[in-house]
Amino acid sequence: MDGGSGMKVVHYLNQFFAGLGGEEAAGHEPVRIEGAVGPGRGLAAAGLPVDVTLACGDDHFGEHEAEALARLLNWLEEEEPDVLVCGPAFGSGRHGYACGSLAREAGRRGVPVVSAMTPDNPGVLAAEGAAYIVPTGSNVTEMRTILPVVAALAGRLARGEPVGPSEEEGYLPRGLRKNVLADVTGAARAVDLLLAKLAGDTRTEVAPSGDRVPPPSAVVDLSRATVALVSEAGCVPQGNPDRLPSRHSNMWLRYPLGGVSSLGADAYESVHGGFDTAAANDDPNRLVPLDAVRELEAEGRIGKLHDVFYTTTGVDTPVAAAAKFGQEIAAELHEANVQAVILTGT
Amino acid sequence: MGRHSAAPPLELGTYEVVEASFGPSTSWKAGNLVVDLESLRGSAAKEPAVEAVEVHLVRPGDPVRVANVLDAVVPHVKADDPEATFPGVLGRLAPAGRGRSNRLGGVTVLSVCDLRAAGLVEEDEVWETFVDMAGPGADRSGFGSTANVVLTFTPRSDAPAADVDLAVRKATLRVARELAATTIGATPDRQETFRPIGARQGGEDLPAIAAILQVGSEGPFLDTFLYGLRMEGLVPTALDPREVLDGALTNGAFEWAGSRNPTALYQRNALIRELYEADGKRLRFAGLVVALGYLNTAFEKQRSAMLSARLAQLLGADGVVCTTFETGNSHTDTMLTVRACEQLGIRTTAILTETNGGLTDHVPEADCIVSVGNEDELVAGWSPDHVIGASAARAGEPVPTWAYLGATCQMGDLRWTAVPA
Repeated sequence: MDGGSGMKVVHYLNQFFAGLGGEEAAGHEPVRIEGAVGPGRGLAAAGLPVDVTLACGDDHFGEHEAEALARLLNWLEEEEPDVLVCGPAFGSGRHGYACGSLAREAGRRGVPVVSAMTPDNPGVLAAEGAAYIVPTGSNVTEMRTILPVVAALAGRLARGEPVGPSEEEGYLPRGLRKNVLADVTGAARAVDLLLAKLAGDTRTEVAPSGDRVPPPSAVVDLSRATVALVSEAGCVPQGNPDRLPSRHSNMWLRYPLGGVSSLGADAYESVHGGFDTAAANDDPNRLVPLDAVRELEAEGRIGKLHDVFYTTTGVDTPVAAAAKFGQEIAAELHEANVQAVILTGT
Repeated sequence: MGRHSAAPPLELGTYEVVEASFGPSTSWKAGNLVVDLESLRGSAAKEPAVEAVEVHLVRPGDPVRVANVLDAVVPHVKADDPEATFPGVLGRLAPAGRGRSNRLGGVTVLSVCDLRAAGLVEEDEVWETFVDMAGPGADRSGFGSTANVVLTFTPRSDAPAADVDLAVRKATLRVARELAATTIGATPDRQETFRPIGARQGGEDLPAIAAILQVGSEGPFLDTFLYGLRMEGLVPTALDPREVLDGALTNGAFEWAGSRNPTALYQRNALIRELYEADGKRLRFAGLVVALGYLNTAFEKQRSAMLSARLAQLLGADGVVCTTFETGNSHTDTMLTVRACEQLGIRTTAILTETNGGLTDHVPEADCIVSVGNEDELVAGWSPDHVIGASAARAGEPVPTWAYLGATCQMGDLRWTAVPA
């Protein structure tokens, strides 16, 4: 069923907007309702007929997130919608979080998603750029003006029509960078920007993420510290069993070091695509200095070596991807009570 | 009178091509370029390392994808001295950037060779390079909007990589020279005069602006050539910007299609033209430095950045535009150059491509960046009727922007940029 509009629309709401009840129904488990409910009728009035409404109590979603998501995604998979609308959630953090989380998972499965909430709603972060989120105020009285905006954007996505940059279309930036044609060449813009900068007006077309990490304080006693080896040199077991990419890596890996005293050329290799690996492959200890660290361990100069090493390839890796690898690896090291890391770069 | 006033200007005559077709003899007349296929094929196949050459003519709107493109060259000839065209690599060694040069407008020569199939390059390097003449990717490469004479080379199977590299580059430049030579003696549609930048009168109160042009030189198929020799090991060097427009700098770097510098973009160079155009009006064009990017060690990178900044200072620059060659590693060279300049009090703008994850490297001094676009953006799939240079070439599949020749060239020749979405 597609409501006769030629497109299939699924709408997600919390218990309140779905008419299941107020705060007393916040523990309501996920339900599937045929047709439009509550704000869904407003979407229909704005030209976006809702075929199926999915709803879940805000507390239930928060307390049983994985399970609730699985049920909602299962329904989505059955419906194969052309577009999913989540909310609007306005300033509600719990509703927004559920909208953003479902939007993220649906978006990653290729379903176009539109949501609406305040820019500081935790749902914006939860969506991780996988949805078009229309910014709203915190007050529900905006419903009347927001629904037509959401309906128009969702309708265009459902029909496969192109959507322009966030500044033009009014949705919150998703953290993506879209290519557009400027009025003049990059060279002309460079000269203009440079002359403006010399005149005291400094502007830029792209800025870094601003993620600067302050160095931690020094390790108090290295002879008691657990030390880990981390490398971006692309060092993997021979044959690259987990298929670490040689450039533009989308993963990091960990390999055990228990009982290993040295990385033999017969057992390890580098798959790094950014340097000539011939010399490194003659002695993989020069990528991940296990032999030297085992000596330090034997001499008692370090407490002990962490029993796995972490590896990726650092070449053409976007900063955002590398930052994510770093955070994930650091979280594991922190969990394992590692106090110091030897990070070998190439 | 300035001491340069006696030096001859570069007179660049452009002969527009409205219609390009095959015919019995190569000629240009009143917008019509006729290409003698057999003669061009013979000319391109003169090199011993080349087994065979196919010649195709493709026009904007043709349902054709050209794959495995190595380089793009604007047809160009030294009208008074054809033997000195592309000096040092094809022609006799002579200073470029002075005297009369003729070029064809609206036509580009594309060299094509499947280096991977020929076993001449490593599998894991990124050589995939497209020019689409129609479809959603036609406007990504700067070469989907010109008629293109496509030379598809089959290397001799026992020829060493360095020989094939030289043969393909020479043959392509030779064809570019022969096509442009048809205009010698004719009146150009457009003539530009580039005088020595030091010959300008007045404008002393305007800011002095230089460009630092980054190039790469890492070995066969990864080199840039200055007067015929690969540039590896070169310290940052001042060039007369007219030398770049006139064929002294040629490309032999064929990895990373979108962000490499094709020869045609040295010849056309939007940045040099922009600085000439503004010279004496908004700024004083202080000069051009060529410097290597993709250097191997932190020491080499810092040294090159320091020497580039010092040379810009010797040129009297108040500000510089820093260009970038390819991505990743070289972005660190750009950032260090920006930092070195700013530390000397020279203000900078850097031209860079972005990735889906943002910038690869950054220093706080780089507060003024021109983005030539997101090289990771996928361009919608397209199924061309014909593919030249390969068998499949991602027909029907989405193609990343970085696979289109010159699409994110960081000398700033195209209008693409990236905005939040």
